[in-house]
Amino acid sequence: MISGDRLFGAVVVLGAGAYAAAALQLQTGFMSDPVGSKTFPLLVAGVSVICGLVMVIRPDDDPEWPTLRTLGALAVAVAVLAAYAYTLKPLGFLIPTAIAAGVLSYQINPRPMFAVLAGLGLSVGLFSLFKFVLGLGLVALPGG
Amino acid sequence: MDILSNLALGFSVALSPWTLMLAILGCFIGTIVGALPGLGPSNGVALLIPITFSMGLDATAALVLLTSVYYGAMYGGRISSILLNIPGDEPAMMTCLDGYPMAKNGRAGDALVISGVASFVGALLATVALMLIAPMLAQAAYLFGPAEYFALYLLAFSTLGGIASKNQAKAALASAIGLGIAMIGLDNQTGLPRFTGGNLHLMDGIDFLVAIVGLFAVSEVFVFIESHGKGSALGVKLGKITVPWRDIWETKWTMLRSSILGFIAGILPGAGASLGSFLTYMMEKSIAGEKGKFGTGVVKGVAAPEAGNNSAAGGALVPMLTLGVPGSGTTAVLLAVLMTLNITPGPTLFADRPEVVWGLIASLLIANVVLLLMNVPMVKIFVKILMVPPALLLPGVMMVSFVGIYSLTGSYFDLLLMIAFGVMGWLFRKLDIPTVPVILGILLGNAMEDNLRRAMILSDGDAMFLFSSPISIGLWVAAILGFVAPIFLRRIIKKPTVPDHAKPVD
Amino acid sequence: MTNTFRALLTGAAIFVAGAATAAECIAPANPGGGWDFTCRQIGKILYDIGQVDQPVQVTNMAGGGGGLAFQTVVNERNDDPDLIVAASVATQTRLAQNAFGGATADQVRFVGAIGADPGVIVVAADSPFQSLTEMMDAMKADPGSVAFAGGSAAGGFDHLKVLQLAKAYGIEDVRTIKYIGVDGGADAITQTIGGFTQGMTGDMSEIVGFVQSGDVRVLAVLTEERVPGFDDIPTAREQGIDIVAVNWRGLYVPKGISDERFQEWADRLQAVADSDEWKEAMAANGLAPFTRVGNDFQAFVDQSIEESAALSREIGIIQ
Repeated sequence: MISGDRLFGAVVVLGAGAYAAAALQLQTGFMSDPVGSKTFPLLVAGVSVICGLVMVIRPDDDPEWPTLRTLGALAVAVAVLAAYAYTLKPLGFLIPTAIAAGVLSYQINPRPMFAVLAGLGLSVGLFSLFKFVLGLGLVALPGG
Repeated sequence: MDILSNLALGFSVALSPWTLMLAILGCFIGTIVGALPGLGPSNGVALLIPITFSMGLDATAALVLLTSVYYGAMYGGRISSILLNIPGDEPAMMTCLDGYPMAKNGRAGDALVISGVASFVGALLATVALMLIAPMLAQAAYLFGPAEYFALYLLAFSTLGGIASKNQAKAALASAIGLGIAMIGLDNQTGLPRFTGGNLHLMDGIDFLVAIVGLFAVSEVFVFIESHGKGSALGVKLGKITVPWRDIWETKWTMLRSSILGFIAGILPGAGASLGSFLTYMMEKSIAGEKGKFGTGVVKGVAAPEAGNNSAAGGALVPMLTLGVPGSGTTAVLLAVLMTLNITPGPTLFADRPEVVWGLIASLLIANVVLLLMNVPMVKIFVKILMVPPALLLPGVMMVSFVGIYSLTGSYFDLLLMIAFGVMGWLFRKLDIPTVPVILGILLGNAMEDNLRRAMILSDGDAMFLFSSPISIGLWVAAILGFVAPIFLRRIIKKPTVPDHAKPVD
Repeated sequence: MTNTFRALLTGAAIFVAGAATAAECIAPANPGGGWDFTCRQIGKILYDIGQVDQPVQVTNMAGGGGGLAFQTVVNERNDDPDLIVAASVATQTRLAQNAFGGATADQVRFVGAIGADPGVIVVAADSPFQSLTEMMDAMKADPGSVAFAGGSAAGGFDHLKVLQLAKAYGIEDVRTIKYIGVDGGADAITQTIGGFTQGMTGDMSEIVGFVQSGDVRVLAVLTEERVPGFDDIPTAREQGIDIVAVNWRGLYVPKGISDERFQEWADRLQAVADSDEWKEAMAANGLAPFTRVGNDFQAFVDQSIEESAALSREIGIIQ
């Protein structure tokens, strides 16, 4: 199996290449600026390529990668959070927070009852804290 | 004397009931944050920044609150090291080595008290030293032109990559990634957008607070989802707490030595508190020799790293305040605080905003006393908080991150960006790539590029200008040594084994 | 506790849009800067002296150096009669240099300026230059020999001041004059005292502390008359270089409002300018009187933009 370092190093080399290409497209500087817009990004890309190559050639010991199941759980977490980001404004604070917090809680420790309580508790508790103690202007419910 | 009148000004700011309340609140939150495994000073402070700004606190109040949290977290880190054998934060790592054995021998209470006192001594001496040294260093600022600043930033990256990490290539890569991210947005000199892909949200660049909260706080939640929050049960019993006066008296020289060494380690740009506790533990171990029985639960083994890391935390404020170059992950976060408050750290800070600097110093002195009281007689409260199950704590951390960033920027795009940084933080920790250099890169990237450009404008493009003053040459030499020397030193000195089931960020 | 109260207000300002009838002032930057000051001071005084019957709501809309607010006004609020937006010379310069993504100055109406921060040229106390003309002579001989530091980016107002002076003095190739943009006036002064640059270009308010401490010498102030309170500082004009460059603080309003409404805002602004409260606010913040309102101000801005654009084109900032 390919080690994580090697794979990531290769990705870095490619990414840095693309970054450098984008830098070369930039308009040149003007007036008495000998460095211009490109030079520093190109230096950064150069350093990245060297480091990426070092990782490809001399990788560290591979970490213990999570199982597919765990990776799936992480993907679910990311998806839930992304949905949370989109719904926080239209649906208010309470409902999305209870759902997102509950799901995360269940993912850390799969006890359904605890997760439901944690979600509800965090939603109401944090809302009270932010709204009434810290004075942030959160909106509780849709239209509220 | 000048310092006394400045300090009087500072105390007049710090002793207002409002500021005092914030300091106490900060100490309390900080100790909790430090004690909880998975939350350290940097992610704790990161989490609180957006909230603080949304509350509309003024510069001094915000700074007092957040630095109290910072100092508090440095105290709190030892609690879980001693009771759980899990460092609450990275600088508290060395405290596990003798603290946990002490607790297993039934001396958990003694270990907590001694480490609390050692933290106090270290932090107090460091604050006094900060007070004496920082204004002198601020005078040196007139010696720093564009070339010198460029070399100084380079030194910060190289020491962070060299001394504080295991793999130079990975640390350098992390710095480069941070610098690359900093380039996104409008170019300071030409006003043209760079690397935005035409996306309007990226025109103003990536907000460093979004990156900090994502990398430090959100990624922590992913780590816990992966591990299902294992290993957080309280392993030892804590009896009645008494003060072991004799033990404290015996460690007085250890505390003093460790405070001095820790402070020096803290001043080095990029090194910070972890190095402070590491060096002081190693120093005391070699002074005590074989008879010292370090590692079996000895008092000095607890006092040294705690005095060391707390005094390094104070030392790390020196380069941050005087030159705008942070000495650790947490001071990088504090630098972000200052930049968001429109306070430019650096030489002029002491002249322009004395109420900020001296108010901060006075608050640190007060915070220390408050923290000693909280962490010795009241330590049991914090021990109780260690029982909060991760399945409640971590979702809470996530929600606070979201609310904080949302109330600060009001943009779902920034929330998505924060999640992306969270994933990046998780991946980097898997691959053992440090995340602090990324933050430092984002924070310092534009300033570093600007200074390079300024230097080249002044010299008509002559690259030798970068090495044209004794200061810049000295900084370049130190930067190269700081990056290269550890490769060789690492073969000679082996790091002592540390508990491997927790690697929190500093 | 007042702080909690203020926190509540801040929170409210972020989340709640202003009530429909109250006037709104957009500060195109985060709280704490010059535009924010303009909105808050003018808004407060408008209410205090009874020019508006409800407190003026201040909205911070940072982004694109003021471009986001400008675009928003043009595209979404073009006929809002209750909207005013803080502006300064930076707005003018960015419009001249097409930095607002294609937006042009004629998409809004500039209603007035009621105060200004005078431009200054400063050297370190140990500098060989005793007057502006000595400095200009040195630059004439070798334009690269005098480097300037200023608080705005290259091509910004601080930079343009130097170029305007140089051109007026007959220096041909102004492109070779060295300028570094640093983070604000204090940094620019530090660099100049440290000897890394030979001159500093900035605003009066940025240098007051350093003048009093004796670290720097002001070669010229770029106003028509000497500034009250700083009577020993000569103007560029009396040294034979007829350049006036001040960082004005003012407002623009949407293009789509009626002429009557425009005139009404101009009159209100004039009333603020005449008030004692505003004179106090100016004194406390290092501003000099500079009152131009209505069509007079619009003409001033139009002409300034034309000049800045021509200069910017010449040095290659814009095509």
